[in-house]
Amino acid sequence: MRILLVEDDDHLVETTARALRSQGWVVDCTARGEPVPRSLREDAYDLLILDIGLAGIDGFETLRRVRAEGIAVPVLILTARDAVEDRVRGLEGGADDYLVKPFALTELVARARALVRRSQARTSNQLQLARLRIDQEARRAYIEDEPLALSAREWDVLGFLMARAGKVVPKEHIALASNAWDQGVSDNAIEVCLSRLRAKIEPGGVQLRTVRGLGYLLEEIA
Amino acid sequence: MLPLLVGLPLLGVGLYQQVQSSAQSWLDEGLEDTALTLAGQIDTRSGEPRIEISATMDRALRFDRQDDVFYLVLSPSGQVLQGDAGLADLQPRPDARPAGRSWYGDVKLRDRDLRLVQLGHDCGGGSACQILVAETLHKRDALQRQIGTLVALNGAGLALLLALAGWWAIRQGLSPLTGLSAELEHRDLHRLTPLEARLPRELVPLQLAFNRLFERLARAAGAQREFLADAAHQLRTPLTSLQTEIELAMLEPHDQRMDPLLQRLRHRVVRSARLAQQLLSLARAEDRSVDVQQRLDLRDIATESGQDWAHRTLPSDVDLGFELAEAPAQGHAFLLRELLENLIHNAVSYAGSGARITVRCGTDADGSWLEVEDNGPGIPLAERATAMQRFRRGSSATGSGSGLGLAIAADIAARHGGRLDLLDAHAGPGLRARLSLPPQQPAPPAA
Repeated sequence: MRILLVEDDDHLVETTARALRSQGWVVDCTARGEPVPRSLREDAYDLLILDIGLAGIDGFETLRRVRAEGIAVPVLILTARDAVEDRVRGLEGGADDYLVKPFALTELVARARALVRRSQARTSNQLQLARLRIDQEARRAYIEDEPLALSAREWDVLGFLMARAGKVVPKEHIALASNAWDQGVSDNAIEVCLSRLRAKIEPGGVQLRTVRGLGYLLEEIA
Repeated sequence: MLPLLVGLPLLGVGLYQQVQSSAQSWLDEGLEDTALTLAGQIDTRSGEPRIEISATMDRALRFDRQDDVFYLVLSPSGQVLQGDAGLADLQPRPDARPAGRSWYGDVKLRDRDLRLVQLGHDCGGGSACQILVAETLHKRDALQRQIGTLVALNGAGLALLLALAGWWAIRQGLSPLTGLSAELEHRDLHRLTPLEARLPRELVPLQLAFNRLFERLARAAGAQREFLADAAHQLRTPLTSLQTEIELAMLEPHDQRMDPLLQRLRHRVVRSARLAQQLLSLARAEDRSVDVQQRLDLRDIATESGQDWAHRTLPSDVDLGFELAEAPAQGHAFLLRELLENLIHNAVSYAGSGARITVRCGTDADGSWLEVEDNGPGIPLAERATAMQRFRRGSSATGSGSGLGLAIAADIAARHGGRLDLLDAHAGPGLRARLSLPPQQPAPPAA
């Protein structure tokens, strides 16, 4: 995976880049926004990590120029600003996610991975989370190259959760994931399905966590 | 008031004296009339002055309702021509007057006070007869008393009227000041808009001076807030970099004995970053330009918070759950989010490992509410009020809080016209921190 990191604090660039590289990703760095659209056009990046507070044109303007050129790369914004207005401005300007400084490296890595995965889901049928991989066209799931035996409902729910990995998904939404469920499906039935699914996928280095009262979260085991 | 207190009695005394002296001279003229009548009766045709007074004339001369009148006519040589010879014993005895001249004075006659007029009358040969007319002082004393009483009564009445008028005038004059002080009473650092009390022209400079003072205060308060916000911002980037560095060190191959040290370091940095964040929130909670009228749902705010917390590493066995219902309210999304963040942080820090923390929201008759309940040790009733003050930590606190969390939450609640209450958990030990927001105001008509 190839990432373009735009950040003008030398120190932060260095540590962030090292952290991302430690994931086995290729990271290019720049301190200014002006050359970003050209870099994105010339090289195939999977992700743009963009700081808002740049010298010269700021992150918002850089983002605007990138989107104006029709470049569809996923964008993760970094900022020391946390006003909701700024967040809205960033997301409306075409950013895909937003991280407020100071952030934990694990969070940065998780968000970066989730963004790339989402963008891959739009363009490819293959989704990968740790050692768990699904092929949406073939409706098959694998751990490494070992196929998993899943019921139709389990498959629907897994596909739904994989596309939303790293997000807490409410139970009501999961109920809508499968046509195999009738409208008035009981909470209990969903829980049984999820607990079976959990047992099957967890050997793949992922976990399906319950957030009490909020929903379910599929994520990599850190 | 002082000029009145001094002036009014002086004025009274002056008035009394003037009236008194007019009355005196009027009475004195009556006395002199008697003397002139007597002078008219002196016959000098024979060369020797002589005077004949009939009994009727004598009665007429002596007639007075209140006083005894005495008279004496003396020849130039001092011989008694007519009248009361006893008058010759007057003390003091005035000198003889030249013809046509008179003298008035107070005299004594055998311990009786008398008023005397002595008139000189030409008795031929350039010498003057002396005519003395005296009367007792009953009339004069009575008049004096009467004048005194009248002046005193009128003076007192006038004083009373003046006092009333003064009181009324002062009251009228000061009523704008009363309004002004009431207005000032309600001022604090957050309300420094210019005064708008309607004041008389004399007080306008005072109002302008106050407004200039407010302006300076507002600028100073604004500069302070800005500094706080700037400082918090400026702290973030280096703290992020430090945190990243430590986390990187933890990811790379290293001596396992370093782990506890790295963990502690990371924990400290996260705490510092959180403190910077809290200072920023505090500055923002106090910023009056922030719009706290946005229409929102506390459920969305709690859900967003839940999404964030789901990714954070919680201390061992902490169970963070949500029971959310619709809770429409008016407020500032970021500030309310920060409030909830602080309440959850507080619960996580103080409730300890194995804690069960539940975030709830909903509506009741008094408006929308949001609460965070834990099953930790709770806060003793007596310490709850101080727990919401800045940098105060409970007596049994062992966690890693800065002591700002609840204070910020309380500030934000107050900023929204709401309340933060620290209550007992629904069951068992623990703390339930509850935000109550006032009911929504009806939506403004669509433009």
